[in-house]
Amino acid sequence: MCGIAGRILGKTGDVGTDLVELMDAQAHRGSDSTGFAIYAPPRAHGYVVRAMGFDRAGLGRDLEDFLLILREHGGDFLENPTWDSAPDKHYSVRMVISDPANVARWIHDADMLCARLEVQSVGRALEIIKDIGGAAEVAAKHHVRGMQGTHGLGHARLATESAVRPNASHPFWARPFPDVAIVHNGQITDYTNWRNRLERQGYRFLTQNDSELIAVWVSHEISQGMTLQQALDHSIKQIDGVFTYMIADLNGIGFAKDRFAIKPLATVQADGAFCAATEEQALRRVYPGGAKIINYDGPAKTGIWGKGGLAA
Amino acid sequence: MSAHVIDVGSRSIREVSAELQQAARTREAVHVINTLSRHNLGIGLPPGAEVSFEGSVGYYCGGLNTGARITIEGDAGWGVGEGMDAGHITVGGYAGMSAGAAMRGGLIHIKGDAGPRAGVAMKGGTIVVEGKLGAQAGFMAHAGKIIALGGAATSCADALWQGEIWVAGDIESLGVDAKVVEPTPAQVAEVEAILAPLGLAGQSRNWRRIIAGQRLWYFESRDANAWLMI
Repeated sequence: MCGIAGRILGKTGDVGTDLVELMDAQAHRGSDSTGFAIYAPPRAHGYVVRAMGFDRAGLGRDLEDFLLILREHGGDFLENPTWDSAPDKHYSVRMVISDPANVARWIHDADMLCARLEVQSVGRALEIIKDIGGAAEVAAKHHVRGMQGTHGLGHARLATESAVRPNASHPFWARPFPDVAIVHNGQITDYTNWRNRLERQGYRFLTQNDSELIAVWVSHEISQGMTLQQALDHSIKQIDGVFTYMIADLNGIGFAKDRFAIKPLATVQADGAFCAATEEQALRRVYPGGAKIINYDGPAKTGIWGKGGLAA
Repeated sequence: MSAHVIDVGSRSIREVSAELQQAARTREAVHVINTLSRHNLGIGLPPGAEVSFEGSVGYYCGGLNTGARITIEGDAGWGVGEGMDAGHITVGGYAGMSAGAAMRGGLIHIKGDAGPRAGVAMKGGTIVVEGKLGAQAGFMAHAGKIIALGGAATSCADALWQGEIWVAGDIESLGVDAKVVEPTPAQVAEVEAILAPLGLAGQSRNWRRIIAGQRLWYFESRDANAWLMI
Protein backbone atom coordinates (compact mmCIF):
# COMPACT_ATOMS: atom_id res chain seq x y z
CA MET A 1 0.00 0.00 0.00
CA CYS A 2 1.51 3.27 -1.15
CA GLY A 3 -0.04 6.63 -1.90
CA ILE A 4 0.48 8.49 -5.16
CA ALA A 5 -0.56 11.88 -6.46
CA GLY A 6 -0.37 14.02 -9.58
CA ARG A 7 -0.99 17.70 -10.02
CA ILE A 8 -1.24 19.85 -13.15
CA LEU A 9 -1.67 23.61 -12.91
CA GLY A 10 -3.04 25.79 -15.67
CA LYS A 11 0.14 27.91 -15.46
CA THR A 12 3.33 27.98 -13.42
CA GLY A 13 2.47 28.07 -9.72
CA ASP A 14 2.81 26.49 -6.30
CA VAL A 15 2.89 22.91 -7.46
CA GLY A 16 5.33 21.99 -4.67
CA THR A 17 2.92 23.15 -1.98
CA ASP A 18 0.00 21.29 -3.55
CA LEU A 19 1.97 18.06 -3.83
CA VAL A 20 3.08 18.32 -0.20
CA GLU A 21 -0.56 18.70 0.85
CA LEU A 22 -1.60 15.75 -1.31
CA MET A 23 1.07 13.54 0.20
CA ASP A 24 0.61 14.74 3.75
CA ALA A 25 -3.06 13.70 3.49
CA GLN A 26 -1.90 10.25 2.39
CA ALA A 27 1.04 9.87 4.77
CA HIS A 28 -0.72 6.93 6.45
CA ARG A 29 -0.40 4.95 3.20
CA GLY A 30 3.38 4.90 3.35
CA SER A 31 5.47 5.92 6.31
CA ASP A 32 8.84 4.81 4.94
CA SER A 33 9.68 7.57 2.53
CA THR A 34 8.22 10.41 0.48
CA GLY A 35 9.19 11.89 -2.83
CA PHE A 36 8.24 14.50 -5.37
CA ALA A 37 8.82 15.00 -9.11
CA ILE A 38 8.38 18.65 -9.98
CA TYR A 39 8.36 20.12 -13.46
CA ALA A 40 9.44 23.75 -13.66
CA PRO A 41 9.10 25.66 -16.95
CA PRO A 42 11.60 23.86 -19.21
CA ARG A 43 15.00 25.35 -19.88
CA ALA A 44 16.00 25.98 -23.50
CA HIS A 45 19.49 24.63 -22.86
CA GLY A 46 21.13 22.61 -20.14
CA TYR A 47 19.74 20.15 -17.63
CA VAL A 48 18.89 20.18 -13.95
CA VAL A 49 20.41 17.15 -12.26
CA ARG A 50 19.30 15.87 -8.89
CA ALA A 51 21.59 13.33 -7.25
CA MET A 52 22.05 11.63 -3.90
CA GLY A 53 25.41 11.03 -2.26
CA PHE A 54 25.82 8.38 0.37
CA ASP A 55 28.70 9.79 2.43
CA ARG A 56 28.56 13.48 3.23
CA ALA A 57 32.21 13.41 4.26
CA GLY A 58 33.12 12.65 0.64
CA LEU A 59 30.86 15.27 -0.95
CA GLY A 60 33.67 17.42 -2.37
CA ARG A 61 35.46 14.47 -3.90
CA ASP A 62 32.19 13.06 -5.28
CA LEU A 63 31.40 16.31 -7.07
CA GLU A 64 34.93 16.62 -8.44
CA ASP A 65 34.73 13.13 -9.94
CA PHE A 66 31.23 13.79 -11.24
CA LEU A 67 32.41 16.97 -12.98
CA LEU A 68 35.39 15.15 -14.45
CA ILE A 69 33.09 12.64 -16.16
CA LEU A 70 30.70 15.37 -17.24
CA ARG A 71 33.54 17.34 -18.89
CA GLU A 72 34.66 14.21 -20.73
CA HIS A 73 31.20 14.26 -22.36
CA GLY A 74 31.34 17.94 -23.27
CA GLY A 75 29.28 19.28 -20.36
CA ASP A 76 30.06 21.53 -17.42
CA PHE A 77 28.42 23.06 -14.40
CA LEU A 78 26.40 26.15 -15.32
CA GLU A 79 25.85 27.04 -11.67
CA ASN A 80 27.57 26.05 -8.47
CA PRO A 81 25.96 22.87 -7.10
CA THR A 82 23.84 23.22 -3.96
CA TRP A 83 23.01 20.58 -1.34
CA ASP A 84 20.98 20.11 1.77
CA SER A 85 22.54 20.91 5.14
CA ALA A 86 20.90 18.13 7.19
CA PRO A 87 23.05 16.15 9.64
CA ASP A 88 22.33 12.89 7.75
CA LYS A 89 25.13 10.85 6.27
CA HIS A 90 23.46 10.88 2.87
CA TYR A 91 23.00 14.17 1.05
CA SER A 92 20.98 15.51 -1.89
CA VAL A 93 22.63 17.73 -4.42
CA ARG A 94 21.20 19.91 -7.19
CA MET A 95 23.30 20.71 -10.22
CA VAL A 96 22.63 22.71 -13.37
CA ILE A 97 24.75 21.50 -16.25
CA SER A 98 25.28 22.32 -19.90
CA ASP A 99 24.24 19.72 -22.45
CA PRO A 100 26.48 16.66 -22.64
CA ALA A 101 27.07 15.47 -26.20
CA ASN A 102 24.90 12.42 -25.55
CA VAL A 103 22.86 12.14 -22.34
CA ALA A 104 22.58 8.35 -22.40
CA ARG A 105 26.32 7.83 -22.86
CA TRP A 106 27.15 10.44 -20.22
CA ILE A 107 24.76 8.93 -17.67
CA HIS A 108 26.16 5.49 -18.41
CA ASP A 109 29.61 6.74 -17.41
CA ALA A 110 28.32 8.90 -14.55
CA ASP A 111 26.73 5.78 -13.10
CA MET A 112 30.22 4.43 -12.47
CA LEU A 113 30.04 6.66 -9.42
CA CYS A 114 26.58 5.44 -8.38
CA ALA A 115 27.83 3.71 -5.23
CA ARG A 116 28.94 7.17 -4.05
CA LEU A 117 26.77 9.63 -5.98
CA GLU A 118 23.59 8.40 -7.64
CA VAL A 119 21.88 10.53 -10.27
CA GLN A 120 18.15 10.56 -9.56
CA SER A 121 16.81 12.82 -12.25
CA VAL A 122 17.94 14.66 -15.37
CA GLY A 123 15.68 17.06 -17.15
CA ARG A 124 15.11 20.38 -18.81
CA ALA A 125 12.27 20.77 -16.31
CA LEU A 126 12.19 17.72 -14.04
CA GLU A 127 13.58 17.61 -10.52
CA ILE A 128 13.09 14.55 -8.31
CA ILE A 129 13.37 15.10 -4.57
CA LYS A 130 12.99 12.09 -2.30
CA ASP A 131 14.07 10.95 1.12
CA ILE A 132 13.23 8.86 4.15
CA GLY A 133 10.30 10.15 6.21
CA GLY A 134 6.83 11.57 5.85
CA ALA A 135 5.68 14.37 3.56
CA ALA A 136 6.07 17.16 6.09
CA GLU A 137 9.56 16.03 7.09
CA VAL A 138 10.86 15.56 3.54
CA ALA A 139 9.26 18.78 2.34
CA ALA A 140 10.81 20.79 5.15
CA LYS A 141 14.25 19.27 4.64
CA HIS A 142 14.28 19.91 0.90
CA HIS A 143 12.15 23.08 0.74
CA VAL A 144 9.59 21.48 -1.54
CA ARG A 145 6.80 23.89 -0.62
CA GLY A 146 8.68 26.73 -2.26
CA MET A 147 9.10 24.95 -5.58
CA GLN A 148 7.28 26.46 -8.53
CA GLY A 149 6.23 24.50 -11.58
CA THR A 150 3.54 23.48 -14.00
CA HIS A 151 2.96 19.90 -12.88
CA GLY A 152 4.36 17.08 -10.82
CA LEU A 153 4.00 13.80 -8.99
CA GLY A 154 4.12 12.72 -5.36
CA HIS A 155 4.60 9.42 -3.57
CA ALA A 156 4.37 8.00 -0.05
CA ARG A 157 6.06 4.63 0.18
CA LEU A 158 5.28 1.58 2.24
CA ALA A 159 8.18 -0.67 1.31
CA THR A 160 7.21 -4.27 0.62
CA GLU A 161 9.70 -5.93 -1.69
CA SER A 162 12.79 -3.75 -1.63
CA ALA A 163 14.80 -1.92 0.97
CA VAL A 164 13.90 1.23 2.88
CA ARG A 165 16.66 3.49 1.64
CA PRO A 166 16.61 7.10 0.53
CA ASN A 167 17.41 6.13 -3.04
CA ALA A 168 14.76 3.38 -3.13
CA SER A 169 12.08 6.02 -2.57
CA HIS A 170 9.82 7.15 -5.39
CA PRO A 171 9.47 8.86 -7.82
CA PHE A 172 11.84 7.13 -10.20
CA TRP A 173 13.48 8.66 -13.18
CA ALA A 174 13.22 6.67 -16.45
CA ARG A 175 16.97 6.32 -16.78
CA PRO A 176 18.36 7.57 -19.22
CA PHE A 177 15.35 9.42 -20.73
CA PRO A 178 15.37 13.07 -19.59
CA ASP A 179 12.21 14.52 -18.00
CA VAL A 180 10.36 11.23 -17.50
CA ALA A 181 9.34 10.21 -13.98
CA ILE A 182 7.00 7.69 -12.43
CA VAL A 183 5.13 6.98 -9.20
CA HIS A 184 3.57 3.61 -8.59
CA ASN A 185 1.28 1.90 -6.11
CA GLY A 186 1.35 -1.88 -6.37
CA GLN A 187 3.51 -4.88 -7.18
CA ILE A 188 4.93 -6.09 -10.48
CA THR A 189 4.99 -9.87 -10.22
CA ASP A 190 7.08 -10.54 -13.34
CA TYR A 191 9.62 -7.88 -12.39
CA THR A 192 12.70 -10.08 -12.66
CA ASN A 193 11.85 -11.30 -16.16
CA TRP A 194 11.27 -7.79 -17.47
CA ARG A 195 14.35 -6.41 -15.76
CA ASN A 196 16.51 -9.12 -17.30
CA ARG A 197 15.10 -8.38 -20.76
CA LEU A 198 15.68 -4.64 -20.42
CA GLU A 199 19.19 -5.11 -19.01
CA ARG A 200 20.05 -7.25 -22.03
CA GLN A 201 19.10 -4.21 -24.11
CA GLY A 202 21.54 -2.05 -22.17
CA TYR A 203 19.35 -0.41 -19.54
CA ARG A 204 20.69 -0.01 -16.03
CA PHE A 205 18.73 -0.27 -12.78
CA LEU A 206 20.11 1.12 -9.56
CA THR A 207 17.57 -0.37 -7.13
CA GLN A 208 15.55 -3.55 -6.73
CA ASN A 209 12.37 -1.50 -6.82
CA ASP A 210 9.81 -2.70 -9.38
CA SER A 211 8.63 0.87 -9.96
CA GLU A 212 11.99 1.76 -11.49
CA LEU A 213 11.24 -0.92 -14.06
CA ILE A 214 7.93 0.59 -15.19
CA ALA A 215 9.50 3.96 -15.89
CA VAL A 216 12.13 2.41 -18.15
CA TRP A 217 9.65 -0.07 -19.67
CA VAL A 218 7.26 2.65 -20.82
CA SER A 219 10.04 4.94 -22.03
CA HIS A 220 11.64 2.08 -23.96
CA GLU A 221 8.36 1.35 -25.75
CA ILE A 222 8.07 5.02 -26.69
CA SER A 223 11.65 5.03 -27.96
CA GLN A 224 10.69 2.11 -30.21
CA GLY A 225 7.91 4.11 -31.84
CA MET A 226 4.86 3.88 -29.61
CA THR A 227 2.94 6.91 -28.43
CA LEU A 228 2.57 7.35 -24.68
CA GLN A 229 -1.07 6.22 -24.92
CA GLN A 230 -0.07 3.10 -26.84
CA ALA A 231 2.66 2.33 -24.32
CA LEU A 232 0.23 2.72 -21.42
CA ASP A 233 -2.30 0.41 -23.09
CA HIS A 234 0.43 -2.08 -23.90
CA SER A 235 1.71 -2.07 -20.31
CA ILE A 236 -1.53 -3.35 -18.80
CA LYS A 237 -1.50 -6.27 -21.20
CA GLN A 238 2.19 -7.07 -20.87
CA ILE A 239 3.14 -6.34 -17.28
CA ASP A 240 1.78 -8.72 -14.67
CA GLY A 241 0.71 -7.62 -11.22
CA VAL A 242 -1.59 -5.24 -9.43
CA PHE A 243 -0.76 -1.60 -9.95
CA THR A 244 -1.78 1.93 -10.56
CA TYR A 245 1.03 4.10 -11.84
CA MET A 246 1.37 7.65 -13.12
CA ILE A 247 4.11 8.66 -15.50
CA ALA A 248 4.96 12.27 -16.24
CA ASP A 249 6.88 14.01 -18.97
CA LEU A 250 7.19 17.59 -20.16
CA ASN A 251 3.66 17.57 -21.55
CA GLY A 252 1.60 16.12 -18.70
CA ILE A 253 0.76 12.94 -16.81
CA GLY A 254 -0.36 9.52 -18.02
CA PHE A 255 -1.75 6.72 -15.88
CA ALA A 256 -2.44 3.01 -16.12
CA LYS A 257 -4.36 0.60 -13.91
CA ASP A 258 -3.99 -3.17 -14.00
CA ARG A 259 -6.62 -5.66 -15.14
CA PHE A 260 -7.69 -6.57 -11.61
CA ALA A 261 -8.79 -3.15 -10.31
CA ILE A 262 -7.04 -3.49 -6.98
CA LYS A 263 -5.41 -0.08 -6.60
CA PRO A 264 -7.46 3.12 -6.36
CA LEU A 265 -7.24 6.41 -8.21
CA ALA A 266 -9.45 9.47 -7.86
CA THR A 267 -9.26 12.70 -9.84
CA VAL A 268 -10.54 16.26 -10.03
CA GLN A 269 -10.57 18.63 -12.96
CA ALA A 270 -11.51 22.12 -11.87
CA ASP A 271 -10.55 25.72 -12.43
CA GLY A 272 -8.35 24.83 -15.41
CA ALA A 273 -6.23 22.52 -13.32
CA PHE A 274 -6.07 18.82 -12.56
CA CYS A 275 -5.41 16.70 -9.52
CA ALA A 276 -5.13 12.93 -8.98
CA ALA A 277 -4.53 10.90 -5.85
CA THR A 278 -4.89 7.44 -4.44
CA GLU A 279 -7.40 8.68 -1.89
CA GLU A 280 -10.25 11.10 -2.41
CA GLN A 281 -9.60 12.72 0.95
CA ALA A 282 -6.25 13.97 -0.38
CA LEU A 283 -8.05 15.76 -3.22
CA ARG A 284 -10.28 17.44 -0.64
CA ARG A 285 -7.12 18.92 0.88
CA VAL A 286 -6.49 20.81 -2.38
CA TYR A 287 -10.17 21.38 -3.15
CA PRO A 288 -11.83 21.80 0.25
CA GLY A 289 -14.80 23.52 -1.33
CA GLY A 290 -16.28 20.33 -2.76
CA ALA A 291 -15.06 19.73 -6.31
CA LYS A 292 -16.53 16.91 -8.36
CA ILE A 293 -14.51 13.74 -7.91
CA ILE A 294 -14.10 11.16 -10.67
CA ASN A 295 -13.08 7.72 -9.44
CA TYR A 296 -11.12 5.33 -11.65
CA ASP A 297 -11.99 2.19 -9.71
CA GLY A 298 -12.46 -0.11 -12.67
CA PRO A 299 -9.99 -2.54 -14.24
CA ALA A 300 -7.63 -1.96 -17.17
CA LYS A 301 -7.83 1.81 -17.45
CA THR A 302 -5.37 4.20 -19.03
CA GLY A 303 -5.33 7.86 -19.92
CA ILE A 304 -3.29 11.02 -20.33
CA TRP A 305 -3.88 14.37 -18.75
CA GLY A 306 -2.14 17.07 -20.72
CA LYS A 307 -0.58 20.23 -19.39
CA GLY A 308 -2.55 22.40 -21.76
CA GLY A 309 -6.06 21.12 -22.44
CA LEU A 310 -6.01 18.56 -19.60
CA ALA A 311 -7.65 15.89 -21.72
CA ALA A 312 -4.99 15.14 -24.27
CA MET B 1 -36.27 17.98 17.41
CA SER B 2 -33.23 19.33 15.56
CA ALA B 3 -30.38 16.98 14.79
CA HIS B 4 -27.16 16.89 16.73
CA VAL B 5 -24.53 18.32 14.34
CA ILE B 6 -21.00 16.97 14.28
CA ASP B 7 -18.31 18.85 12.35
CA VAL B 8 -15.52 16.53 11.16
CA GLY B 9 -13.00 18.82 9.46
CA SER B 10 -9.51 17.96 10.60
CA ARG B 11 -10.55 16.42 13.96
CA SER B 12 -9.29 12.94 14.78
CA ILE B 13 -11.67 10.20 13.67
CA ARG B 14 -11.40 8.61 17.12
CA GLU B 15 -12.76 11.81 18.66
CA VAL B 16 -15.51 12.12 16.03
CA SER B 17 -16.49 8.48 16.53
CA ALA B 18 -16.77 8.90 20.29
CA GLU B 19 -19.10 11.87 19.87
CA LEU B 20 -21.09 10.08 17.19
CA GLN B 21 -21.54 6.93 19.29
CA GLN B 22 -22.59 8.98 22.29
CA ALA B 23 -25.18 10.92 20.29
CA ALA B 24 -26.43 7.82 18.50
CA ARG B 25 -26.98 5.94 21.73
CA THR B 26 -29.22 8.69 23.04
CA ARG B 27 -31.40 8.05 19.96
CA GLU B 28 -30.78 11.60 18.86
CA ALA B 29 -30.66 12.16 15.09
CA VAL B 30 -27.14 13.08 14.06
CA HIS B 31 -26.07 15.17 11.08
CA VAL B 32 -22.38 15.02 10.23
CA ILE B 33 -20.91 17.88 8.21
CA ASN B 34 -17.57 18.82 6.67
CA THR B 35 -16.74 15.16 6.08
CA LEU B 36 -14.02 15.84 3.47
CA SER B 37 -14.04 12.20 2.34
CA ARG B 38 -12.45 11.14 5.65
CA HIS B 39 -12.22 7.40 6.32
CA ASN B 40 -13.91 5.25 8.99
CA LEU B 41 -16.86 7.50 9.72
CA GLY B 42 -19.89 5.92 11.39
CA ILE B 43 -18.38 2.54 12.19
CA GLY B 44 -20.32 0.12 14.40
CA LEU B 45 -23.37 2.31 14.89
CA PRO B 46 -26.08 0.82 17.12
CA PRO B 47 -29.64 -0.21 16.23
CA GLY B 48 -32.07 2.67 16.05
CA ALA B 49 -29.49 5.34 15.36
CA GLU B 50 -30.19 7.79 12.54
CA VAL B 51 -27.11 9.42 11.06
CA SER B 52 -26.72 11.50 7.92
CA PHE B 53 -23.44 12.56 6.34
CA GLU B 54 -23.37 15.76 4.32
CA GLY B 55 -21.03 15.51 1.34
CA SER B 56 -18.82 12.56 0.53
CA VAL B 57 -17.20 10.06 2.85
CA GLY B 58 -14.02 8.00 2.58
CA TYR B 59 -13.40 4.31 3.18
CA TYR B 60 -15.56 1.96 5.31
CA CYS B 61 -18.34 4.38 6.22
CA GLY B 62 -21.12 2.50 8.01
CA GLY B 63 -18.97 -0.59 8.41
CA LEU B 64 -20.05 -3.11 11.06
CA ASN B 65 -23.44 -1.44 11.25
CA THR B 66 -25.69 -3.27 13.71
CA GLY B 67 -28.96 -1.60 12.79
CA ALA B 68 -28.55 2.11 12.24
CA ARG B 69 -30.10 4.04 9.39
CA ILE B 70 -27.29 5.90 7.65
CA THR B 71 -27.64 8.39 4.83
CA ILE B 72 -24.62 9.53 2.83
CA GLU B 73 -25.65 12.46 0.72
CA GLY B 74 -22.65 12.36 -1.64
CA ASP B 75 -20.30 9.61 -2.75
CA ALA B 76 -18.86 6.85 -0.59
CA GLY B 77 -15.31 5.52 -0.76
CA TRP B 78 -14.27 1.90 -0.65
CA GLY B 79 -16.04 -0.63 1.56
CA VAL B 80 -19.19 1.26 2.48
CA GLY B 81 -21.16 -0.93 4.89
CA GLU B 82 -18.42 -3.55 5.04
CA GLY B 83 -19.28 -6.34 7.45
CA MET B 84 -22.64 -4.84 8.39
CA ASP B 85 -25.10 -7.05 10.21
CA ALA B 86 -28.29 -4.99 10.06
CA GLY B 87 -29.60 -1.56 9.25
CA HIS B 88 -30.03 0.56 6.16
CA ILE B 89 -27.40 2.61 4.34
CA THR B 90 -28.25 4.99 1.52
CA VAL B 91 -25.50 6.38 -0.72
CA GLY B 92 -26.66 9.40 -2.70
CA GLY B 93 -24.02 9.09 -5.41
CA TYR B 94 -21.27 6.67 -6.36
CA ALA B 95 -20.04 3.92 -4.06
CA GLY B 96 -16.40 2.85 -4.49
CA MET B 97 -14.81 -0.56 -4.55
CA SER B 98 -16.24 -3.41 -2.46
CA ALA B 99 -19.48 -1.85 -1.27
CA GLY B 100 -21.05 -4.21 1.25
CA ALA B 101 -18.06 -6.52 1.39
CA ALA B 102 -18.71 -9.46 3.71
CA MET B 103 -21.99 -7.97 4.88
CA ARG B 104 -24.26 -10.37 6.72
CA GLY B 105 -27.55 -8.49 6.75
CA GLY B 106 -29.30 -5.19 6.23
CA LEU B 107 -29.63 -3.18 3.05
CA ILE B 108 -27.33 -0.84 1.13
CA HIS B 109 -29.05 1.38 -1.40
CA ILE B 110 -26.68 3.06 -3.87
CA LYS B 111 -28.34 5.71 -6.02
CA GLY B 112 -25.41 6.05 -8.43
CA ASP B 113 -23.03 3.45 -9.80
CA ALA B 114 -21.10 0.94 -7.72
CA GLY B 115 -17.37 0.28 -8.11
CA PRO B 116 -15.82 -3.13 -8.70
CA ARG B 117 -16.48 -6.12 -6.43
CA ALA B 118 -19.67 -4.81 -4.82
CA GLY B 119 -20.85 -7.50 -2.42
CA VAL B 120 -17.57 -9.38 -2.45
CA ALA B 121 -17.84 -12.32 -0.05
CA MET B 122 -21.20 -11.10 1.22
CA LYS B 123 -22.98 -13.55 3.48
CA GLY B 124 -26.43 -12.03 3.55
CA GLY B 125 -28.37 -8.83 3.16
CA THR B 126 -29.17 -6.85 0.05
CA ILE B 127 -27.38 -4.33 -2.14
CA VAL B 128 -29.50 -2.24 -4.50
CA VAL B 129 -27.70 -0.22 -7.17
CA GLU B 130 -29.75 2.20 -9.22
CA GLY B 131 -26.86 2.71 -11.63
CA LYS B 132 -24.35 0.26 -13.03
CA LEU B 133 -22.56 -2.47 -11.11
CA GLY B 134 -18.75 -2.42 -11.38
CA ALA B 135 -16.58 -5.33 -12.49
CA GLN B 136 -16.64 -8.63 -10.60
CA ALA B 137 -19.80 -7.80 -8.69
CA GLY B 138 -20.64 -10.43 -6.10
CA PHE B 139 -17.21 -12.03 -6.30
CA MET B 140 -17.35 -15.16 -4.12
CA ALA B 141 -20.59 -14.05 -2.47
CA HIS B 142 -21.93 -16.70 -0.13
CA ALA B 143 -25.47 -15.43 0.28
CA GLY B 144 -27.66 -12.37 -0.16
CA LYS B 145 -28.88 -10.42 -3.16
CA ILE B 146 -27.33 -7.76 -5.35
CA ILE B 147 -29.86 -5.92 -7.50
CA ALA B 148 -28.72 -3.56 -10.25
CA LEU B 149 -31.04 -1.45 -12.35
CA GLY B 150 -28.43 0.02 -14.71
CA GLY B 151 -26.58 -3.01 -15.99
CA ALA B 152 -23.28 -4.55 -14.96
CA ALA B 153 -19.63 -4.32 -16.02
CA THR B 154 -17.28 -7.18 -16.80
CA SER B 155 -17.01 -10.50 -14.95
CA CYS B 156 -20.37 -10.14 -13.27
CA ALA B 157 -20.93 -12.75 -10.53
CA ASP B 158 -17.42 -14.13 -10.85
CA ALA B 159 -16.97 -17.24 -8.67
CA LEU B 160 -20.32 -16.67 -7.04
CA TRP B 161 -21.27 -19.31 -4.52
CA GLN B 162 -24.76 -19.03 -3.09
CA GLY B 163 -25.70 -15.42 -3.49
CA GLU B 164 -27.65 -14.14 -6.44
CA ILE B 165 -27.37 -11.10 -8.65
CA TRP B 166 -30.27 -9.49 -10.43
CA VAL B 167 -29.52 -7.20 -13.34
CA ALA B 168 -31.83 -5.05 -15.42
CA GLY B 169 -29.84 -3.66 -18.35
CA ASP B 170 -26.75 -4.75 -20.21
CA ILE B 171 -24.17 -7.08 -18.73
CA GLU B 172 -20.74 -6.55 -20.29
CA SER B 173 -19.64 -10.07 -19.47
CA LEU B 174 -20.28 -12.84 -16.98
CA GLY B 175 -17.62 -14.07 -14.60
CA VAL B 176 -16.30 -17.57 -14.16
CA ASP B 177 -19.04 -20.05 -13.26
CA ALA B 178 -21.83 -17.47 -13.49
CA LYS B 179 -25.11 -18.74 -14.88
CA VAL B 180 -28.12 -16.73 -16.04
CA VAL B 181 -31.47 -18.27 -15.22
CA GLU B 182 -35.04 -17.23 -15.93
CA PRO B 183 -36.62 -15.90 -12.73
CA THR B 184 -40.01 -17.14 -11.67
CA PRO B 185 -42.85 -14.63 -11.20
CA ALA B 186 -42.65 -15.25 -7.46
CA GLN B 187 -38.93 -14.43 -7.44
CA VAL B 188 -39.53 -11.26 -9.45
CA ALA B 189 -42.25 -10.23 -7.04
CA GLU B 190 -39.85 -10.73 -4.16
CA VAL B 191 -37.27 -8.43 -5.79
CA GLU B 192 -39.86 -5.81 -6.69
CA ALA B 193 -41.00 -5.88 -3.07
CA ILE B 194 -37.48 -4.94 -2.03
CA LEU B 195 -37.42 -2.07 -4.55
CA ALA B 196 -40.86 -0.62 -3.84
CA PRO B 197 -40.07 0.90 -0.41
CA LEU B 198 -37.03 2.56 -2.02
CA GLY B 199 -39.25 4.38 -4.48
CA LEU B 200 -38.19 2.14 -7.35
CA ALA B 201 -41.37 0.23 -7.99
CA GLY B 202 -43.76 0.16 -10.87
CA GLN B 203 -41.50 -0.35 -13.84
CA SER B 204 -41.40 -3.30 -16.17
CA ARG B 205 -37.84 -4.56 -16.14
CA ASN B 206 -36.08 -7.18 -18.18
CA TRP B 207 -34.56 -9.05 -15.26
CA ARG B 208 -31.74 -11.50 -15.47
CA ARG B 209 -31.07 -13.57 -12.39
CA ILE B 210 -27.50 -14.82 -12.06
CA ILE B 211 -26.52 -17.69 -9.84
CA ALA B 212 -23.55 -20.05 -9.51
CA GLY B 213 -23.12 -22.62 -12.25
CA GLN B 214 -21.66 -24.85 -9.53
CA ARG B 215 -18.78 -25.92 -11.76
CA LEU B 216 -16.32 -24.47 -9.23
CA TRP B 217 -17.93 -26.27 -6.33
CA TYR B 218 -15.74 -29.02 -5.07
CA PHE B 219 -18.16 -30.55 -2.62
CA GLU B 220 -19.14 -34.16 -3.03
CA SER B 221 -22.69 -33.17 -2.30
CA ARG B 222 -24.62 -30.41 -4.05
CA ASP B 223 -26.62 -29.97 -0.87
CA ALA B 224 -24.78 -27.08 0.73
CA ASN B 225 -26.81 -27.40 3.93
CA ALA B 226 -25.02 -30.66 4.61
CA TRP B 227 -21.77 -28.72 4.76
CA LEU B 228 -22.88 -25.92 6.99
CA MET B 229 -21.45 -26.29 10.47
CA ILE B 230 -23.97 -24.02 12.14
